[in-house]
Amino acid sequence: MLTYAARRVLYSIPVILVASFLLFAAVRATFDPTARLAQSRDPQVQQRERERLGLTDPILVQYGDWLKGAVHGDLGQSSASREDVSAMISRSMGNTLQLIVIGALVSAVIAIGIGVYSAVRQYSALDYVFTGLSYIGVAMPPFWFGLLAIEFFVVQHRWLLSVGLHTGDSTSFDLDYVKHLVLPVATLCVQIIASWSRYERASMLDALSADYVRTARAKGVPRRKVILKHALRNALIPFVTVVALDFGALFGGLIITENIFAIGGMGRLFYNAILVGDVYVVQAWMIIVAVFIIMFNLLADLIYGVLDPRIRLS
Amino acid sequence: MGRQRRGAQLLGLALIMVLVAAACGGSSKNNAASGSSGGSNASSSAAVPKGGTLIIGAEQEPDCMDWIGSCSGSSWGYWMAAVQTMPRAFDVVRDDQGNYSYKASIVLKGEPKLETTPKQKITYEIADNAVWNDNQPITSTDFKYTWDQIANGTDVYDKTGYKDIESVDDSNPKVAVVTFKNNYQDWKGLFTGNYGIFPSHLLQGKDRDAAMKDGYKFSAGPWIIDSWTKTDNITLVPNPNFFGTKPSLDKVIFKFQPDTSSEFTSFKSAQVSMIYPQPQLDAVDQINAGLPNSQKVITTQTGNFEALWLNQGKAPFDDEAVRKAVGFAIDRGAIVQRLFGGLGVKDPLQFVNAPVVQQYVDPQAFAQYKLDKSQVDSLLTGDGYAKGSDGIYAKGGQKLSFTVRTTAGNKRRELTQQVLQQQLKDAGIDMQIDNAKAADLFGTILPLGDFQAAIYANVLTTLGPSICNIACASNASPIGQKGGNNYQRTNIPELDTVLHKMDGELDDSALQSEGKQAQDLAASHMINLPIDPLPNILLWSNKVVGPVGDNGILGPFFNMNLWGVTS
Repeated sequence: MLTYAARRVLYSIPVILVASFLLFAAVRATFDPTARLAQSRDPQVQQRERERLGLTDPILVQYGDWLKGAVHGDLGQSSASREDVSAMISRSMGNTLQLIVIGALVSAVIAIGIGVYSAVRQYSALDYVFTGLSYIGVAMPPFWFGLLAIEFFVVQHRWLLSVGLHTGDSTSFDLDYVKHLVLPVATLCVQIIASWSRYERASMLDALSADYVRTARAKGVPRRKVILKHALRNALIPFVTVVALDFGALFGGLIITENIFAIGGMGRLFYNAILVGDVYVVQAWMIIVAVFIIMFNLLADLIYGVLDPRIRLS
Repeated sequence: MGRQRRGAQLLGLALIMVLVAAACGGSSKNNAASGSSGGSNASSSAAVPKGGTLIIGAEQEPDCMDWIGSCSGSSWGYWMAAVQTMPRAFDVVRDDQGNYSYKASIVLKGEPKLETTPKQKITYEIADNAVWNDNQPITSTDFKYTWDQIANGTDVYDKTGYKDIESVDDSNPKVAVVTFKNNYQDWKGLFTGNYGIFPSHLLQGKDRDAAMKDGYKFSAGPWIIDSWTKTDNITLVPNPNFFGTKPSLDKVIFKFQPDTSSEFTSFKSAQVSMIYPQPQLDAVDQINAGLPNSQKVITTQTGNFEALWLNQGKAPFDDEAVRKAVGFAIDRGAIVQRLFGGLGVKDPLQFVNAPVVQQYVDPQAFAQYKLDKSQVDSLLTGDGYAKGSDGIYAKGGQKLSFTVRTTAGNKRRELTQQVLQQQLKDAGIDMQIDNAKAADLFGTILPLGDFQAAIYANVLTTLGPSICNIACASNASPIGQKGGNNYQRTNIPELDTVLHKMDGELDDSALQSEGKQAQDLAASHMINLPIDPLPNILLWSNKVVGPVGDNGILGPFFNMNLWGVTS
């Protein structure tokens, strides 16, 4: 297993380097970090700043300089606020993590439950209900669900809250925090539960019709054990891949959800940076999100190996 | 996006107008009253209880709090923090006729003494009780330090006016004597608008930007910045050593909410008690749908205005006849009615300046430009154009067609474009739309002159009424080059003469007369077409009491020290 893990990690390094270079070059070709100086009456100001920032160097040299800083935790300074980009990203990541970790856990548990039930009780009334709801969930835009939920739970009934993660300047993790967290997490979960439950149902149906399950049943293994130990474990393999990929992508933040609920996460950071052309934030954001996606792919591979020994042995 | 001003190194001489970026209806860093006078549209003044916390929804988070630095262009940052903490030489007050003027603030003993010969010299006498929150007095050295940082610093937001100062004499700690190199008309805007006065005893010899950009603890205003939790809130608490009326509230929290619809839902659900939304279409709809248990002020006496800016460095608007024809092809009244009729704002703006300086303009300068197709036909046929079979005028085989650019995603401006397109088509002029994100529009497209026409807002940050920075030839660059804020490349020598005169005019009645003359010249040459006085909207819950109201220059929170909340 250790060799398998080491191999997968080594494979990931060139992928990260290539991805980060391509993104670096793409962002540099699209944004001009000195654009804000365009309104200066001194035509040399912009050129001096370009030289100071090393923008006149070849792109490979620029990338090398950026990479050197990045491995030491220096992602540059925001051109809008002059704040360290690494500080901005870690702060935003903290807020986004609160949403996606809780959201993904809740979604996974519910999706697995629905998927297993729907597969075991295929074509039952409840299976049809879950199927119908999942189609609605997949089709429903999160912002629409979020706004409806706010209108009902916040404006009309005032059961929950919708501005940020805390009331006022509070930072405590109490009931107030929970009341703030419910709706953004629910908004995040609706589509995820809908799609993940369909994956889990399909892979569970495959597992239940496999020969080893029939054999287990023929040998008299209790039904519960057949389902949970034999079928579910194998059905989780494709599910884990989907979860890992989605989870990695979620690190990019939830632009709409974070804006609706006024949460300063990765999505809002990216949105604001794009609006003002904050090139160093956009660049770091894209590369970090790419790294997370690659890392979660790696994690999916490793979990694959744990769940299915044949994969790591091959 | 929010109300923002981005990256403007403003280089005009008197009137400081800045572009409003993003999807902004625009507003600005404004002059501040250090918690004393200057109210306008005050509407609620029940007995003010002591204590309590007020939570206000804020559409924008500042990039930094170093008010001198170029990162300080956020209007909200200025309203929330600078206005509340930085002492200022002048307040801006509004009289019963709606005219705004400067009034010496409580930092000074009285109106400063102005001498005009041999050079313009201002003597500021500082009040004996004017102190910072550490009880150190505000001194003339603070004036000198502020001037030095702005005039001689690098990466400064705007040096206008300060670079015209020759010296600041601080030999008497309670008397600052400021001598100018040349006459500077808007001298009252110095040490007032945008910056205020900085504490030399705390900042001298230090990296000012590093000390302030993430928030600071000094204050000579009614409030102190208690905390700035980035991406979430700014919290203010009373300055116990404030030498004016001390705040009644225990705490004010500005909660950042960039999304307009969530801003309204949080207001309706009482999560925030006050909002100051941009006048976007959905905001108008929400207000018209009704907001129970609340009050509002909608004012057109603001520092903002939107216009159709015509690039005179490029065809077809290098031709005055075409510019005038466009003026007669557009029904501006219908546009304003469509955009803001729901707020009761129906009349188009008739001058190229912000309504807050209305006493310095001819209020009907552009009134001649109203929908009149016969005038369009007369102007264009007289200029050699003829209507083609498609109903569009053409000259020399070239259709009369142009492109209008604005900030992508700003629904109000996009609707304006659509209405304009239809109106112009009806009059025989073809108009295309090509929008760009705010960073590109204001960072590259406008400075390079890479546009034929554009819609955006200008914002006045002081009461200086000259529009030289946006209309003098000396503030324009050739097409394809950057520099100066005269993006539409206006070059009218007689207008330049008047505007330059205004920049150094120290006589108010002469200034009024020159201001009217400038507007008439601008209209007679149709340098661009003013559309609307971008209204400000302030909404607050009934639980907020005190003289709440909006002030077109000071912003909505300038007198929060007089507010309270009921339980």
